[in-house]
Amino acid sequence: MSVFTLPQAAKETALVKELSELVAHHRAACPPYARILDASGAGDRFDTVADLPWLPVRLFKNLELKSIGDDEVFKVLTSSGTTGEVSRIYLDKAAAATQTRMLGATVQSVLGPKRLPMLLVDTKSLLKDRRSFSARGAGVLGMATFGRDHVWALDSDGKPDVDAIRGFLAAHGDQPFLIFGFTYLVWLHLYEVAREHGLDLSNGTLIHSGGWKKLVDQAVDPDEFRRRLRVDAGLTRVHNFYGMVEQIGTIFLEGPSGGSLYCPDFADVVVRDPDTWAELPPGKPGLLEVVSTLPTSYPGHVLLTEDLGVVHGVDDGDWPGKRFSVRGRLPRAEARGCSDTYQGGAAPRAGAIA
Amino acid sequence: MRFRFGAEGDLTAPSADRLAVGDARIIDFLSRFARKLLAPAVARRHPELGSLGFFLRPAELRRAVAAMQRPDALTFPRGNVFHVPPANVDTIFVYSWALSALAGNHNVVRISERSANAADTVLEALNATLADADPIIGRTQRMVTYGREDAITGALSSWADLRVIWGGDAAVDTIRRHPLRPSARDLTFPDRTSWAALCTAGWAAADDATRRAAVLGFTNDAYWFDQAACSSPRTVFLVGDPADADRVQDEFLTLLGAVVAERGWTVDPAMAVEKRVNAYGLAAVGAATGLTFAGNAVTGIALADIEALPRRWLGAGAFPFVAVRDLADLVPVMNRQDQTFSHFGFTATQLRDFATALGGRGVDRIVPFGSALTFSAVWDGYDLPREFTRLTTLQV
Repeated sequence: MSVFTLPQAAKETALVKELSELVAHHRAACPPYARILDASGAGDRFDTVADLPWLPVRLFKNLELKSIGDDEVFKVLTSSGTTGEVSRIYLDKAAAATQTRMLGATVQSVLGPKRLPMLLVDTKSLLKDRRSFSARGAGVLGMATFGRDHVWALDSDGKPDVDAIRGFLAAHGDQPFLIFGFTYLVWLHLYEVAREHGLDLSNGTLIHSGGWKKLVDQAVDPDEFRRRLRVDAGLTRVHNFYGMVEQIGTIFLEGPSGGSLYCPDFADVVVRDPDTWAELPPGKPGLLEVVSTLPTSYPGHVLLTEDLGVVHGVDDGDWPGKRFSVRGRLPRAEARGCSDTYQGGAAPRAGAIA
Repeated sequence: MRFRFGAEGDLTAPSADRLAVGDARIIDFLSRFARKLLAPAVARRHPELGSLGFFLRPAELRRAVAAMQRPDALTFPRGNVFHVPPANVDTIFVYSWALSALAGNHNVVRISERSANAADTVLEALNATLADADPIIGRTQRMVTYGREDAITGALSSWADLRVIWGGDAAVDTIRRHPLRPSARDLTFPDRTSWAALCTAGWAAADDATRRAAVLGFTNDAYWFDQAACSSPRTVFLVGDPADADRVQDEFLTLLGAVVAERGWTVDPAMAVEKRVNAYGLAAVGAATGLTFAGNAVTGIALADIEALPRRWLGAGAFPFVAVRDLADLVPVMNRQDQTFSHFGFTATQLRDFATALGGRGVDRIVPFGSALTFSAVWDGYDLPREFTRLTTLQV
């Protein structure tokens, strides 16, 4: 079973219809959203996904945007940023269930239907730290439900726990297993340990996220990351993903051959020219917009991110639809000015929340 | 600590050097410094330094010194002055320091670690001028850069007779944690908001060339410091018959877009996103009812009403508009935070009546479009030369 099935034309038709309905739904149910659309002159008929009105993702840090009543709020998700501003995402019971189900379907596209033994490249003490819990902890916990017999690869100080990793491999290493972690932790604490100790990860499938910024210093790019894991640890099934708490449940997953992220059937990306805001063709980098049919309890169905990205091709890769990559973040807006505090809030943050 | 200008050494050590109000050695130094700023190569690279050079011409300096004298008292330097200028406005520290030096004070200026560009050029020019100046200049006028070292700020605060704090509310609060001597005081420049007002009848009566000149001036006021200087105009009031407001707003925005394009003012993508976030935020809460994005550089925001007046920065090139019948309607909504009120199309009487009605409860400067950023010795309601001097009365 896979959620990477629809060719672009079929997906576009389906998404325009569903997302247009979501625009109408949120317009009726979320007054601030309706006021934004009315003030900016948005219509109510849209011919393409790129025509749909987008919200800057940072709006969720400044405003309470929800399309459900206070009594229907089942879960409030928060993302942390370095400026102290947090996004608040409101889910009702149905939306919470849907996001878990669709995230599951997405990862099962590469893991198969059965829960696999799971090595978490993180530290258990992460769950005790209330501050980092919201971002990294939620990501780890969200993904943990797709595995079984979990083992933490890092000790309470965040150092590799070689005995625990060896124990995990002794018990499960001869059959398919799942590895999950943030990209830089996988590189620093699993790859290096596996190489040093000659660990065999060849039956593993790695799912990782979190951006490449911390690895750039070590001259490790996505290709090098995959190559070294393959050569030094026998790990060939490697899937990076991109997602954000503001579109919880939707992740864009790297295909088996690497190099590109793919959009599940219920989501898509639009790359926009940051001067004209028009959609850019494949090959031209711009600002990344993410769309998804999952946000029903808050108007997060069409979001302009502050990430730069490029579509590499359409219907020409491992899976159908657009394939793209993320190329870093828009720098912060900062003004000259008399007050020392005029700064925009485009703060870097963790790339992925499951 | 890095010494950027002046003699290295203990900044707070007692000094035997004495300068007079309008000291000839200071006037000589400032005049030669001004000439360097007015050199074509410098003025081309940093036009704002041209304005600074103009402000420091000998004739201007003599006028400022004359204004420091009074018939009823003897005027002397205030003493030691510690200046904390803002990080992001490259030249304001020079205005503040130069007037204080002209008053004969011993000055220490803290230059921000974040300062760049024009500030570096200013420091180069200052140091080049220092080479053949009287050594007392370097001993009494010092500029330094240091990090968040409270010990240094504390020592300079207890050294100072006057502490000049720019940089907004947060900067003022931070620096004020360091006590002053009982006899000393602060001159503070907190967060300010500035406005622009268009008389719709005046606009309708103006010919194309006049409108164009007004918009050009307004553009400079708004875009020079990313609309974030304390005097940069933000909301534009359309004053007159409400039936004319929409048409005037359209005409103004159209001309503004054309002038911005001609002048090459641009807004980078991060700033464009910043503006969207802020404009959508105003719309979400009902404060804005119409948003127009004519390219990234010009964002028009129709406000729901005068109560919705935003006082926070919305990004470079974000212009809320609101219509009122009469300047008098603005009097109740102006407050102490409001600094500069730029105007076009009003009569002198209308403006004078407005200022009188405000009664000093808000708005320190009422200036025509194009003059919002022009620094003057009277600033933020203070007569700076007065602040930098002290008076001795003498009865015989």
